[in-house]
Amino acid sequence: MIATIHKKEPQITTKVAYINGKAYEMRAGETILAFLKRHLGEKYVPTLCDAPNLEPFGACRVCSVDIARQGNGGLKTVASCHTPMEEGLFIYPDSESVLKLRRNIIELVLTDHPLDCLTCEVNGNCELQDVAAQVGIRKVRYPEGKNHLDREKDLSHPYMTSDLSKCIMCYRCVRACDEVQGQLVLSVANRGFDSVIIKGMDESFFDSDCVSCGACAQACPTSAISDIYQSKSVVAQKEVRTVCTYCGVGCNLDVKVTGDQVLSIQAPYDAEVNAGHTCLKGRYAFAFYKHPDRLRAPLIKRNGIFETATWDEAYDYIVNKLDTIRRENGPDFIAGISSARCTNEENYLMQKFIRAVIGTNNIDGCARVCHSPTAIGMQRTFGTGAATNSIADLQYTDCMLVIGANPTAAHPVTGAKIKQKAMKGTTLIVLDPRTTEIAKYADHHLQLRPGTNVAVLNMMLYYIMQEGLEAKAFIETRTEGYDDFKKNILQLNIAELEAVSGVPREQVRAAAIAYAKAKAAMSFHGLGVTEHYQGTYTVMLIADLAMITGNVGRPGCGVNPLRGQNNVQGMADMGVQPYQGAGYMDVTNPDIVQKYANFYRRPVSDKVGYTIPEMYDSALAGKLKAMWIIGEDVVQSDPNSQKVIKALEALDFLVVQELFMTETSKYADVVLPGASFLEKEGTFTNGERRIQRVNKVVEPIGDAKPDGQILVEIMNRFGYPQRPYTAKGILEEIADIVPFFAGVRWDELGTQGKQWPVTPDGRDTKILHQDSFKRGKGRFVFRDFIETPELDAYHEQYPFILTTNRVLEHYNSGTMTRRTHNVDIITEDILLINPVDAREQGIEEGQMVRLVSPRGEVQSKARLTDEVKPGVLSTTFHFPELLVNNLTSDTHDTEANCPEYKVVAVRLEKV
Amino acid sequence: MSKNLTALAARKGKGLTNNLFERIAHLAEENGTPNPEALRQIADEFLVGNANVYGTTTFYDFTKPDHQGKKVYVCNGSACMLAGTQTAVREALMQHFQPEAIGEMCCLGRCHENGAFHFNGQNYSALPAEGIGSILDGAAEAAGTDAYRVAALGTPVLTAPFPTLKDCREVIINMLRETPAVLLQSIRESGLRGRGGAGFPMAFKLEACRKAEGSPKFIVCNADEGDPGAFSDRYLMEQQPLAVLLGMLIAGYAAGAERGVIYIRAEYPESINIIQEAIGELTEAGLNGAHLLGSDFSFHFKLIKAQGAYICGEETALLQSIEGKRPEVRVRPPYPAQEGLFGKPTVVNNVETLANLYYIIANGGAAFAQIGTQRSSGTKLLSLDSAFNRPGLYEVDMGTPLAQVVETLGGGFRRPVKALHIGGPLGGLVPVHKIPDLTIDFESFAENGFLLGHASIIGIPEEYPMVQYLEHLFAFTAHESCGKCFPCRIGSVRGQELLHKAQHESYQIDTTLFNDLVETLAKGSLCALGGGIPLPVRNAMLYFKAELSPYFKE
Repeated sequence: MIATIHKKEPQITTKVAYINGKAYEMRAGETILAFLKRHLGEKYVPTLCDAPNLEPFGACRVCSVDIARQGNGGLKTVASCHTPMEEGLFIYPDSESVLKLRRNIIELVLTDHPLDCLTCEVNGNCELQDVAAQVGIRKVRYPEGKNHLDREKDLSHPYMTSDLSKCIMCYRCVRACDEVQGQLVLSVANRGFDSVIIKGMDESFFDSDCVSCGACAQACPTSAISDIYQSKSVVAQKEVRTVCTYCGVGCNLDVKVTGDQVLSIQAPYDAEVNAGHTCLKGRYAFAFYKHPDRLRAPLIKRNGIFETATWDEAYDYIVNKLDTIRRENGPDFIAGISSARCTNEENYLMQKFIRAVIGTNNIDGCARVCHSPTAIGMQRTFGTGAATNSIADLQYTDCMLVIGANPTAAHPVTGAKIKQKAMKGTTLIVLDPRTTEIAKYADHHLQLRPGTNVAVLNMMLYYIMQEGLEAKAFIETRTEGYDDFKKNILQLNIAELEAVSGVPREQVRAAAIAYAKAKAAMSFHGLGVTEHYQGTYTVMLIADLAMITGNVGRPGCGVNPLRGQNNVQGMADMGVQPYQGAGYMDVTNPDIVQKYANFYRRPVSDKVGYTIPEMYDSALAGKLKAMWIIGEDVVQSDPNSQKVIKALEALDFLVVQELFMTETSKYADVVLPGASFLEKEGTFTNGERRIQRVNKVVEPIGDAKPDGQILVEIMNRFGYPQRPYTAKGILEEIADIVPFFAGVRWDELGTQGKQWPVTPDGRDTKILHQDSFKRGKGRFVFRDFIETPELDAYHEQYPFILTTNRVLEHYNSGTMTRRTHNVDIITEDILLINPVDAREQGIEEGQMVRLVSPRGEVQSKARLTDEVKPGVLSTTFHFPELLVNNLTSDTHDTEANCPEYKVVAVRLEKV
Repeated sequence: MSKNLTALAARKGKGLTNNLFERIAHLAEENGTPNPEALRQIADEFLVGNANVYGTTTFYDFTKPDHQGKKVYVCNGSACMLAGTQTAVREALMQHFQPEAIGEMCCLGRCHENGAFHFNGQNYSALPAEGIGSILDGAAEAAGTDAYRVAALGTPVLTAPFPTLKDCREVIINMLRETPAVLLQSIRESGLRGRGGAGFPMAFKLEACRKAEGSPKFIVCNADEGDPGAFSDRYLMEQQPLAVLLGMLIAGYAAGAERGVIYIRAEYPESINIIQEAIGELTEAGLNGAHLLGSDFSFHFKLIKAQGAYICGEETALLQSIEGKRPEVRVRPPYPAQEGLFGKPTVVNNVETLANLYYIIANGGAAFAQIGTQRSSGTKLLSLDSAFNRPGLYEVDMGTPLAQVVETLGGGFRRPVKALHIGGPLGGLVPVHKIPDLTIDFESFAENGFLLGHASIIGIPEEYPMVQYLEHLFAFTAHESCGKCFPCRIGSVRGQELLHKAQHESYQIDTTLFNDLVETLAKGSLCALGGGIPLPVRNAMLYFKAELSPYFKE
């Protein structure tokens, strides 16, 4: 742990200061405490209110030291945590007087602290206990007086607990809630000795607005705030560093384990990605891994009933079936869907299995239904379909543009960082039909009608040109196609775009000016950009915005898609798409085909395979007979569920690798039990291209196996000599074929990972396109707004626009989070409706309503909120009970074939 | 301190215009404490947590939930307590109010005549029981008596009749003709030091603020004169309001600040009204707003009414308060001149300090430096309480012997006094035999182990038990502690408990323990509240050892 983790790297100087008369090198800008920690060790000076990821606070005074400005000068006692270093300062960190002061302060603390250490949750891992021991308390001399020992515990919450009789009022929880998460749920009530930590307006954890990130529990030095997992208890055999399995932020996690039992998860302070922070999914939603519903053995469906089978039986059955189909129909009658939840190594193996063993390019993954337009849009404009910058660049940015993303719910740690910046005054522009949490903090919230991103972005481009705010030199030297682009933009009919988007032009203009005038502007986008009819073009316009303002290739700027799944970036990198193989190489290019064939030592197809939507269409048309799906509940998560079900039913053979029986695996012929992220090793690549090590924490449950091992075994059964599944071994193979993985070595990834491209000598890359774009010059692409066919066709009969979104507590189809206590916090999908609409329809809060689309209907409970504008409805898809994808349409992004989840024409009826 | 809350309070032009603290205080006006739903709405509007607004609400005496239903307040300041007038006042009030409707205020600044209470937005003092009754019945409107002697011994800088606004205008016009650098030089020459207690050179702060990056910059006038026994700021605000406000304006010009906030304690309703009126007069005279008198210099005044928390006299707590946060003391650095109100460069000065500035621009810094001593220039206001034969508000040149103050101005003591408590509750306890050793200036007090502080002077009667007075000081500190730093939060309570137990039980305080406690407070406290209480306690332990010895064991 380093005290200055969050602060800018101090400048190294040759100045010195003196500790007990001996000279030590000091750094400009550091505190006395940081200086002492550096030279004398982390724990040499005791502290209670100081924490690695919090600002100096100066409450406990235990870190006091004596200082003098001259060797023989008068001594002064100061708190070292908030006193800056000075050159030539004489510091006496353990003078008699200081030692006595510390002892006396701790004695005062103990007059109001229960002395039940032996039965306390944090016995042996309590900072107060440690400090008391360090300062040498033997006795509390004060007679019994006023105290707070009778405070009651708060056990209201599924995860968070508090026992404020143990509270020492160091404010670390309050500061963590404020400085780390930015939720401001905790504060202090009353004053002086009566001061007490409060949640909300002195409510319970459960009744407060707590988002259960656990930052307070991790920050608390005692057990005053903790969690149901007793995260700070010391009874663990080992602690394993790994990477979270949920979103694309890629939080590092320290997992405490005894035997095969995960005890708790904490966020390491030294992790570059999440520096001591994570969300309730990462920290608390891990219990699914040993849920009774976990699949523990292979299942083969016989006569409509799943029967437990051995692995040998399952493999024989699969090989026989697939071989027959391939022989009778050809390899293109087989398709695979790989999983963004699996490791790079597993994704690589899956696409290799489909390409080199089966012999088809029918391989796709869930990026199809989320960020495929990002990959294509950024490849066409920049040359690389990945985030240009790092999240850490937020510290350099002057303007954040967030489009169609709700990061505080879907990417909580990045969301918290964006919110932190916005709260402190960094310009924030939000394009979103909903008033998301960060939209409340926005300087400019352009609350556009769903499906009109292109209209608003074009308006922004128009105003940047009109105001003459283009970065002319950048456009000149780094880009192409600008003249035509400019001509097209300036010919736009602004009045029409204003009408269609519903955003007043002055608002758009102000936002455009703010973005263009920022020294460094950074854009983030999510599925509200991609899951549209014009998704890819929206991404290209975001790239246009970055290029026209010169916001590429520098710190604090760029185009940064917020990737939804832990490894959706890696999945695509590994070649899980029907037109590009491992490393994004074109599968129709004869040289590439040869290259892959040589590498895999098998012939490979040069024909582009099916995207996921095409797989369903082909199955329904009898052109696809077998599918193999890993870790993806397509029935619940893909649009138009009934169509997906029909397609799966039309197959001759379906293999599903899963943790649980899902809506999809119900239709499988063989279900193979995969291992969860806690049970295997490999690498995940987060949304900023950071390849990080996933380390095995416990053995797989029952007979479950890592998906990669299953794939290796099945490849071997097919007669392909694939080496065994080890992260190290497969990664070596990947490094030999994926150019930007050339220097990636399992043993060299360390705890922070590396951001690709990684050169053969192991250097990684924080910022892409610094001197030139991957494709040479950045390409400006113009596209006018086109109304989605969904609304063209159905808006009259189905006058509401339903848009789908996510909540913090659940992850996608909820397969995992519904099997944790998260379900005790959010128990169902809810429909958000504007009070004006509700009044017109006679709908009241909490009432059941029916939503009808051209595809089907569902019923949901209504919540009245002005988070959505009139005419717009919003709901989540985390629960199979609602199965909102019964409503969603077949409309897809024209370029990437990504479904348009975000605009669904619906009718609203009272039940 | 929370950077987020600071920024959110100033977001989108809110700051002083739509001030979070005022909004919370306003909600408490009707019932004594805000209703929770209204508080939630404010939290939503300001994008802060419910916990933040609730936490703020519960901090202040006049907004906290316990304040609900309070109708009348008895002064519990040191002077009234020592004068022994408050039992009778409380009894008189009990005739009209239920006990739960009677609150306390500390202090109303009526130390010269005592018997002070606050009712219906006005202060009263020195009234007989019938008088109190008729006021409560609404029969009498008299604003108490509040007559006190005002006199100067030496050069009257602050007590001289203040020029008319018309004359002031000319002086200000002349000032605006010169650059701020010229003004700063003049202030530097004057040697003016802060009168709030610390004695910090004024020019230094103004210059630091001027040089700091950030805008807008603020001048904050600390009119939270919370020291029981002090009423010199009250005098200035009520009788020399233009001196105070123009002082802020002048400081603003010197520091490059365009906003002036005067933060006045709620216990001084008359001061609030008079200053508000005076701001109105300045507006009419073209001395409040944009481009004063056609110059490039803009200065906007804002009055903020405090809500009952002594700690707000500490400058960083005061800034927290204006931001609507809990007024918990901030760590330094950053100093207010770098990151002050709403994170912007800010100069915080006491009322009396600022009130000197007009004299300096009218007469020049050198003229001011001629008054007083070399290191403590100018004059000092002194408030003498009812222990003196002639209580009142006096101005003396720095360096004037304390004995002269006691005898010539105060006319000696009304009854036998054993010590003077000078400079508020955290000031030194001067035994009467030390009076001849002291002169009124920062150095003399410091060298003798006392503190000039705000220079309020309270006489402790011969018969008043010193142990009880010390308990009162600890109780005061415990009540007013913000609770942030461990030594003050816990230590002040333990100190009070020890002294209480020693008086009321067969218990003697372990002297080593007590000394350890006092040392812990002195060395360990974050601010001058916890850090200040040891001074009078140590003075008492030194000079009243015999009287205190029965309560202590070695």
